Amino acid sequence: MPETRPVPFRGGGFNPAGWRWASWIAFAAIIAAWQLSSSSGLLPALFMPSPLAVLEALARLVETGALTRHLAASLQRIALGWAVGTLGGLAIGTAMGIFAVARSIGLPVTSALFPIPKIALLPLLILWFGIGEPSKVATIALGVLFPTIISTYTAIDGVPRNLIRMGQSFGLPAAMIVWKILLPGALPGILSGFRISSSIALILVVAAEMIGAEHGIGAFILAAGNLMQTDQLVAGVVLLSLLGLAVSFGLSRLERWLLRWR
Amino acid sequence: MRATLTALGALLALALAGGQVQSQTKEKVSIAALPFVSSSPIFIAKELGYFDAEGLDLEIKIFNAAQPVAVATASGDTDFGITGLTGGFYNLAGKGALKIIAAQSREEPGYDFVAYVANPKAHEAGLRKPADLAGKTVGITTVGSTFHYNLGKLAEKHGFKLDSITLKPLQSIPNMSAALKGQQVDAILITANNAYQLEKEGAGKIIGWVHQETPWQLGALFTSTRMVEGRRATVEKFVRAYLKGTAAYAEAYLQKDASGKRVFGKKAEDLYPIQQKWVKPEPQPQTVLASANFIDPQGRLLVKDIYDQVAWYQAQGLVDKDVDPRKFLDLSFVQGHMQVPQN
Repeated sequence: MPETRPVPFRGGGFNPAGWRWASWIAFAAIIAAWQLSSSSGLLPALFMPSPLAVLEALARLVETGALTRHLAASLQRIALGWAVGTLGGLAIGTAMGIFAVARSIGLPVTSALFPIPKIALLPLLILWFGIGEPSKVATIALGVLFPTIISTYTAIDGVPRNLIRMGQSFGLPAAMIVWKILLPGALPGILSGFRISSSIALILVVAAEMIGAEHGIGAFILAAGNLMQTDQLVAGVVLLSLLGLAVSFGLSRLERWLLRWR
Repeated sequence: MRATLTALGALLALALAGGQVQSQTKEKVSIAALPFVSSSPIFIAKELGYFDAEGLDLEIKIFNAAQPVAVATASGDTDFGITGLTGGFYNLAGKGALKIIAAQSREEPGYDFVAYVANPKAHEAGLRKPADLAGKTVGITTVGSTFHYNLGKLAEKHGFKLDSITLKPLQSIPNMSAALKGQQVDAILITANNAYQLEKEGAGKIIGWVHQETPWQLGALFTSTRMVEGRRATVEKFVRAYLKGTAAYAEAYLQKDASGKRVFGKKAEDLYPIQQKWVKPEPQPQTVLASANFIDPQGRLLVKDIYDQVAWYQAQGLVDKDVDPRKFLDLSFVQGHMQVPQN
């Protein structure tokens, strides 16, 4: 008879499922510390507004109705720019994932154009599209286009070959393979690409609204900076953060719904 | 031989010590300024040795926008600053870090500085005078800039609403010129030398000057509250040297003949090398003359106008309500300020 001895449970830990209130408590602690150092005079108002001042600035925005005006203007630009850039990126990325010729042309071109700061192109975009809405939408669309191309192409590239081969051996036509295997298989990668591109759209809205924008969160932040109204500046930045959180939440919902087959 | 060496050594030591004493007696001060002709009383006073005469060793730090000039002075990176008064300046000053001590540029009747320039098409369609700007699209640098204020005062004067003008913030003067040329705005506000250039190119028509519509105190010399409280004597010396600079500037650039026409003589010519050294981009002689706006020879401020400016910005919600001009104006360094409110 071999000797048996009890083995203690060695699993546990390394568990990414977190403590759900931790993030809230951390946020609250940071903001409380910030407010404390502001009201005690450690952090002079000249250098950083207090959270209360920021909250007041936000409240003023709501009261005067400026908030809806700014949000509406920016969301319109972001939505349009993101949609244009994403559709273009999906089309080009898919073509690059499927066709060898498109890939050979697309990869170097994308690599060459992606690192160009779109803000540097702003003067050119203004010459091409004027100082109205089109140049703002184009700035965002351009910023969104390249990361979408790359995420779409790599996602399609990463679909397991054996699934495609299986489809082929079952006699599926090529169009069906793309529709039933490639695109669903690439969807997780494409959706995580959306997370990046939507953040880029939010970043670029500030740059896009530098020129000739009367309303918009970016225009509001820039004006607050020019006016040294640091409370409003931080309020605008908080708005952008909240927008980012909202978009991320929406994308999570979309992911859960689109990927329910997993 | 040895004696000679010792003597040499002693001499060297003396020379070294002497040099040290001299550099110790001069007090180092710095100023933040824009490379414009409107800052040139500072350039003139430095180059003509007025600061040296006061025992000040002045370093001029050149900035490229009004905002950083005020920020640098408030944060203590420089001891003084000289630039245009904007909404941003007042918000910063309202936090207690800055004190205005003397005048810089002023829009004074008879001295062209900022022009209203219409694009030729809009001009043909009836945009002939500043009052016609109601309902038009106008390019400015930024919200809360001096141009924004000029339009606000213009609207007040002619009884139309500023809201009726579509303001296009374009961030920079080149952008504004480009927008006018591309006919994306009906008009812009721009300084004289640029305005003449646009008219010469046929890209714009000057329809009026701010000094004809709404004269005002455009810029100021300021310092930090710390300086006024801790190094008052230094500030006094600095202002004395600055006022010699404004006087020399006035003699060269602000003279008029009997008919009221501006005349520039030899003194303007003599100062040209200084402008050439400090003003960027390097100006032609006639550019200097076109840009030489009015600066009070005795550094006196139009005090009431500064109160009015703050009130206007506050009414627009561009300057915080608790900003009080009394707290950031220090009128003790210059004699004879004008229109000082009695309260």
